[in-house]
Amino acid sequence: MSMNNLENKSSGYDLESILARRRLEEAQAKAERKKFLLISFLILAVLAAALIVVSVQIGKIEAYNQQVGQGLIEGAIDNDISVYMVIRVAVIAVMIGYALFMLVKLLKPKRRKPNRSFWGDLGIYLLMSIIAVAMAFPLVFSIASSLKPLDELFRFPPKVFPQHITLDNFSDLIVVLGQSWVPFSRYLTNTVFITFVGTFGHVLIASMAAFVLAKYDFPGGKAFFNIVVTALMFSGYVTGIPNYIIMSKLHMIDTYWAVILPAFAAPIGLFLMKQFMEGLPTVLIEAAQIDGASQLRIFWTIVMPNVKPAWLTIIIFSVQNLWNTNASTVIYSESKKTLVYALQQIQAGGIARTGMAAAVTVIVMIVPISIFILSQSQILETMASSGLKE
Amino acid sequence: MTSFIKRYTEMKKEELRYNLHKASKMKMCYFFLAPYAILFFTFFILPIASSIFFSFTYYNILESPRFIGLQNYINLILQDEVFLTAVKNTFVVAVITGPVGYILSFLFAWFINELPRWIRTVAVVVFYAPSIAGNAFYIFSIIFRGDAYGYLNSFLLQFGLIDAPILWLLNPDYIMPVVIIVILWMSMGTGFLSFVAGLQGVDRSMYEAGYVDGIRNRWQELYYITLPSMKPMLLFGAVMSITTAFNVCDVPRALAGYPSTDYAARTIVTHLFDYGFSRFEMGYASAIATVLFVVMILCNKAIQSILRKVGT
Repeated sequence: MSMNNLENKSSGYDLESILARRRLEEAQAKAERKKFLLISFLILAVLAAALIVVSVQIGKIEAYNQQVGQGLIEGAIDNDISVYMVIRVAVIAVMIGYALFMLVKLLKPKRRKPNRSFWGDLGIYLLMSIIAVAMAFPLVFSIASSLKPLDELFRFPPKVFPQHITLDNFSDLIVVLGQSWVPFSRYLTNTVFITFVGTFGHVLIASMAAFVLAKYDFPGGKAFFNIVVTALMFSGYVTGIPNYIIMSKLHMIDTYWAVILPAFAAPIGLFLMKQFMEGLPTVLIEAAQIDGASQLRIFWTIVMPNVKPAWLTIIIFSVQNLWNTNASTVIYSESKKTLVYALQQIQAGGIARTGMAAAVTVIVMIVPISIFILSQSQILETMASSGLKE
Repeated sequence: MTSFIKRYTEMKKEELRYNLHKASKMKMCYFFLAPYAILFFTFFILPIASSIFFSFTYYNILESPRFIGLQNYINLILQDEVFLTAVKNTFVVAVITGPVGYILSFLFAWFINELPRWIRTVAVVVFYAPSIAGNAFYIFSIIFRGDAYGYLNSFLLQFGLIDAPILWLLNPDYIMPVVIIVILWMSMGTGFLSFVAGLQGVDRSMYEAGYVDGIRNRWQELYYITLPSMKPMLLFGAVMSITTAFNVCDVPRALAGYPSTDYAARTIVTHLFDYGFSRFEMGYASAIATVLFVVMILCNKAIQSILRKVGT
């Protein structure tokens, strides 16, 4: 922009010519917008036409297959339908991508930052929409499956979306769980207890440690934090065996504590908290210190209220982790097992429980995903300080 | 020489005294750190130390550990062919899903960052969801089912690319590629979130300055401005990638069975599970765990030193 202004100055500096030039530019922009709109509608129309053709084709084959299935016509079931379905999904993905692109270009034409080409932007929108559809497909399919009645679950070729939506699978699940030896509510209570206590303790303990590591320079602090960073790499699987031995020495096998205590010390929580607290102005703490506040008081009344995004984030990470534990290696009593464990046993029940298995998958995944959706902005705010400084 | 040693010890003593003095002045800090440090020590450091210790013993939980020197490691390398398969598989998965997953999560995060805010919010959920969706990857066992009713099989049969259904999850030639695809699908995890957040935090005025200085397209911008200012996130993302790439366990177990055909989907972690929780040979399992620790730490060191050179 600044360079253009300089050129204007050299070519003629009276108000008239500048205004005239601006008017010309505006007219050009308007014409360009019109052209873009026209081309866009043409492209969308072509895509829509393709979609209709493919859909009609699918409808035809489907009707034919149905008649074959009922024995009205001689012949084999036509499986070409799956090819058309994939084409249809691809066309829909491209349409969504292009429509979004068009919308953004028309609503915010000035958004374009320097160094952004039109074709590059278009490419990103199309690529991302296709990949996003591919990424979301398995999850969408799982959710759709859980809403299908039995005959549609085993239908071949399959349909992505259910024709007759039903909640039978979920009610069957409740019936099966109701018949189990240990009442269903017990599993739920176990998981809720583990999740709640584990998360609460983790947030408290990890933020206390993070506070001193971030804000005070004391011997051993840096070394300790470096060890924690290394420990980020060791998942529960690898430490599982020695942890089992330690738990058995502490006589904690087959108690909730075998799950809860290691969760208190999860390195990711301390790491994120410490990185976030470093962004907090040290002046705040120094001022409180001069006013005579104790360290505990500073922590509780000044630091904690100011790192809300961080503790929300570590709550979410901890809940995700604990909600999904099946803890089958450390908990043996049926009455202490977790919800996910019970659900997985139902899921492993084979072909007869296909519908219920789909319902289980949805129940297990819906909790962490919906929590993430609700708190995305807080999590991203925390993750912005997650980098490992040198 | 003696005077040098004397001076050195004196210096060390002085340093120690200074640190002790400092530490005593900062008692509260240790008080704050203590609860976490004790738990962390018990459940993260002690396990690692004890697994190194138990790896030199024969230990089956019932009897007390018996010291057998390097025998576990010798058996591991010379006699246990399954372990070598597991090592090979783990490395194949790690070498492919680690770097590819890492680069893809950065690329996707970068592309997502180009989108306006409301689309970005949706896109982040779509890409991040698979990694937190619990065991939703079970759906892939239907997609890759071995008979003609498996979705992929029926699709390929349609196109005439194959003339008989492929047993994707039972044929040793195909198990690993399937596992790798599923793991890549789930690889947009914590590192990805860190990238998304980091990209939003890059100073806008740097891009404008770069434009004035002659950067002409988005790729140059990526290389000269974005990557150098994203370095801390890149380092963090690498740690997260190593974690997921080496700790592969659930996916092959759920998809290919446990044990899988010809141990084709056996990874180091499933091998460790087998010896630890099925056969209760804790000493041997500890040796496996120790090998994995060492490999992961070395890998992390190497990658961190490479990444520090990016864009500088």
